[in-house]
Amino acid sequence: MKGPGARRLPLLCFVGALVASCAPAPAPSLLPPDWGNWEKTTDLVLNYPIPGHEDRLRVPRMNQVGFDYLARRGRGAGTWDYPAGTVIAKAVYASKAPAKGEGPVQVTAMIKAPSDARARGGWLWVARDLASGKEMVFTGEFCFTCHENANESHPYADKNPRGEYRDYVFILPGAGPEPAGKEAGGADSAAGEAEEYGSKP
Amino acid sequence: MGIALKVDLIIIAGLALGFGIVFAVFVSALVSTRALLTTASLEAQAGVMYEAIKNFMLPGEAPIAVKFLSDLETRRPDDNIMLWRRFGVAAFSDNETIRRVNANLGKKRFELPAEPRTAAAASRPPGFDPAVANPPSEVAFREESGGRVFFRIYRPLINLPKCTGCHGSDHTIRGVIDLRSDITAVERVERLTLYGGGGGFVAAVSLLALALGSFLRRVVILPVKAIGRLCGEVAGGRFEGRVDIRGGDEIGELGATVNDMVRGLHERSELTKYVSTGTLSALSGGQESRRVDLTVLFSDVRGFTAYSADRDPELVVGVLNRLLETQTALIGAEGGDVDKFVGDEIVAIFAGEGAALRACRAGLALRARVEEAGTEFDGLRIGVGIATGPVIQGMVGSAKRADFTVIGDTANMGSRLCALAKSGQIVVSEGTRNAAPDFDFRGPFAAKIKGKTEPQRVWLLEGGMKP
Repeated sequence: MKGPGARRLPLLCFVGALVASCAPAPAPSLLPPDWGNWEKTTDLVLNYPIPGHEDRLRVPRMNQVGFDYLARRGRGAGTWDYPAGTVIAKAVYASKAPAKGEGPVQVTAMIKAPSDARARGGWLWVARDLASGKEMVFTGEFCFTCHENANESHPYADKNPRGEYRDYVFILPGAGPEPAGKEAGGADSAAGEAEEYGSKP
Repeated sequence: MGIALKVDLIIIAGLALGFGIVFAVFVSALVSTRALLTTASLEAQAGVMYEAIKNFMLPGEAPIAVKFLSDLETRRPDDNIMLWRRFGVAAFSDNETIRRVNANLGKKRFELPAEPRTAAAASRPPGFDPAVANPPSEVAFREESGGRVFFRIYRPLINLPKCTGCHGSDHTIRGVIDLRSDITAVERVERLTLYGGGGGFVAAVSLLALALGSFLRRVVILPVKAIGRLCGEVAGGRFEGRVDIRGGDEIGELGATVNDMVRGLHERSELTKYVSTGTLSALSGGQESRRVDLTVLFSDVRGFTAYSADRDPELVVGVLNRLLETQTALIGAEGGDVDKFVGDEIVAIFAGEGAALRACRAGLALRARVEEAGTEFDGLRIGVGIATGPVIQGMVGSAKRADFTVIGDTANMGSRLCALAKSGQIVVSEGTRNAAPDFDFRGPFAAKIKGKTEPQRVWLLEGGMKP
């Protein structure tokens, strides 16, 4: 390139670099990158319809902080209070019965961070679109108001018949299959079915 | 652009900027506060509505919710409260939900009303979609309808797990609480405040600009202009004017100083009528005596004693003054300095480059002017003597009265030559003739000069420079 354009190129590059350097850095992801390698919290096949997630297959996993707490506490009755740092990541698939090897399209996560100003009920309610990588924190009622029902009798898994405080988590870690016939496509499916689906983004 | 206009513009710009920022902040705060209050109020109402409906519905008391909304609609029609199903149909407007609930529960939990209801045609409210999306968003916006202005929010009602027993799990949003607040009056007050404030702002800026401009004009601009006018008059040779600036501030002091200065200049100007320029220069530049080469010119009226003896004194002084005035001007025109008047005699000094030449030109001009005057000087004639050579220049006189004048042989020679000159003659010394040889001289003549033992060679200056 010759002429004024060639002379301006370095200037344009400099200005472009300057503008790029001034752009706000993307916020760091709240969800740890290895979430797909965590242990699942249940062998239940969660593909029955529920508000918010509809009838798409959901596979919840929990990090070691949560499982350490589980090891300390045990599965007995009583109040649950996950320690700060616990992360429960729920892989959400595009359909109720995804094809073999098909990955999830979204992760919704509960991150225990009581000191975070965005937390509701001590948890950060996060959703990450795996196609775009876009992550958002729900600070309104949407996630929180549903999961609030986990702390009283509800229709899922063991149904929390005694209304124990479950720290906003519906499915207790290690929960077995639901009673037969509870929800369409739910308990009748073989335990461990979700294992066949890929979880990594 | 005059200083007055500049000052006015600066004042207006300063006031507009200062008050403008305050006014803009005020208006912005007013509008945003109103918007925040309206939003907060509607959000609080929506929250109350949400909890009320939730707590009516969860125990299965849907009829209470129906009655609650019906009462709101009939008793508080201005509250603009609505509950929509997620499809944009007014809630409880038909029996569809009752049928669905009964079907989901597998029993007739709710009786159908005796009078069947038919839902009005779905009239999906504007901007409804985000409120029923998954995930939903609370929507708040301003709208105009029927000549009124409303602030409106949609609050999604979520299909909670506990609701699914009756309503099913196949949807996330049960419905939307719709609250409208009529803010027509509030916006009118806002507009009035804005216009009133804006008008007040413009008026305040204008009045302050006028007041400050007037004050500055009176205190600064007009005095400066007056001083400028006075300086112009002084430059034109008029010293009678004074500036009328009162007050003990800096401008007042400046005015007093200028008046003192003009008074001094006036006195100095007046002094030049009585004191030679050389004396004035000596006063300002040093009074040391010195020996210098220059040309002296003496001009004396012939027969003046006899003339003045039998004439009215006023006539005599008038004619003499006219004659001296005329000669002074002609001498000045050639760069000469009138050293003194001695009765009817003028003593003038020419110094510097071409002094003798200029003195000769002045002598010729004096003679020509007087001879051509006719009766202007009442027939009086003059004789002129010019001598060139070294003189002693210095302050001569007493401590109380002295002149910066010339003394010495050349000065005496000039005086004697003037005495020798008959009416209309210009007698010059040998030194003058040698310094201005191109003039038309006649001579030399041997003249007996008082104080000189030998006769002196003198010349008669006849005319201008030879061609």
